Amino acid sequence: MSKTVLTVDDSRTMRDMLRMALIDAGFDVVQAEDGVQGLELLQETRPDVIITDINMPRMDGYGFMQGVRADAQNRGIPILVLTTESSPEKKLRARDAGATGWIVKPFDPKKLVDAVNRVAA
Amino acid sequence: MNDIGTLAERRSARLARAAATSPPPVQVRRTTADGEIVHIVQGEQYVSEDPSIVISTLLGSCVAACLRDPVARVGGMNHFLLPGADTARGECENIGIGVHAMELLVNALLAHGARRERIEAKLFGGACVVAGLTSVGEKNARFAEEFLRREGIQHVGGSLRGDSGRRLQYWPVSGRARQVFMGSAAPELIARETRPVAPPKAEDAGALELF
Repeated sequence: MSKTVLTVDDSRTMRDMLRMALIDAGFDVVQAEDGVQGLELLQETRPDVIITDINMPRMDGYGFMQGVRADAQNRGIPILVLTTESSPEKKLRARDAGATGWIVKPFDPKKLVDAVNRVAA
Repeated sequence: MNDIGTLAERRSARLARAAATSPPPVQVRRTTADGEIVHIVQGEQYVSEDPSIVISTLLGSCVAACLRDPVARVGGMNHFLLPGADTARGECENIGIGVHAMELLVNALLAHGARRERIEAKLFGGACVVAGLTSVGEKNARFAEEFLRREGIQHVGGSLRGDSGRRLQYWPVSGRARQVFMGSAAPELIARETRPVAPPKAEDAGALELF
């Protein structure tokens, strides 16, 4: 059975690039445009892995991750942050918000799939 | 070999030499009657909420996207080139580079208080300045237009394609833009300022850091 990845990114182009890379690797993909929609979709689907951007309107990646971790049922879901940011302060903040790992854009599709497989195992 | 071919070859060779031997210029600031000018080259971007700032660049086949939020009164410019080959892999690399350049600029605006839905864009460049490289400028122009369309960013003006290099100035707060076509002037300068920049190192691009 295919594993499901929830991707949260406000860029349609980025969402499409992620979807193509993940579907080619055999994953099912659910997409959200921001943290608010990501939390809504989390009620309907139980993803095996979450990939989230940081800079998003309405609710950013930090708020989204805190929302995910606030529900005890979701505490075991790996969350990968995929962002243009790379400062140690932001990484620390993401870790405190519940992130499992950090990937700096631009992403390499193969490395991204490897990362998802690694945390989903 | 006809004269045109020979001339084009000489010009291409001159551009290649200039690109290969000249160091990339550093970001330069100077004050003029137009305001304080910040000059950027290929691979760079600049964002400001200072109405006295003018961002300038030289464009050949590269594209500069000028984005601003008129309400937050902040704007910026990037300057990118999609150098990948016309193969499936090259096209993927191009999209990745272009999307990254645009996302960096959008994020920088958002960090200055801009709202994505208010951002408006002007696009410049994408010229065919070297015979035989017709598709490069077109590819860059098409990517930029398509990116704006897909992302729902308003495309309010600019100047794309053609066969001349451009000297571009952009006032990021007011959104005013001024371009001067360079004709055959200073091809070495354009080549130096628009030469491809190495993409981020492999270990930085997409590598997983576990917490």
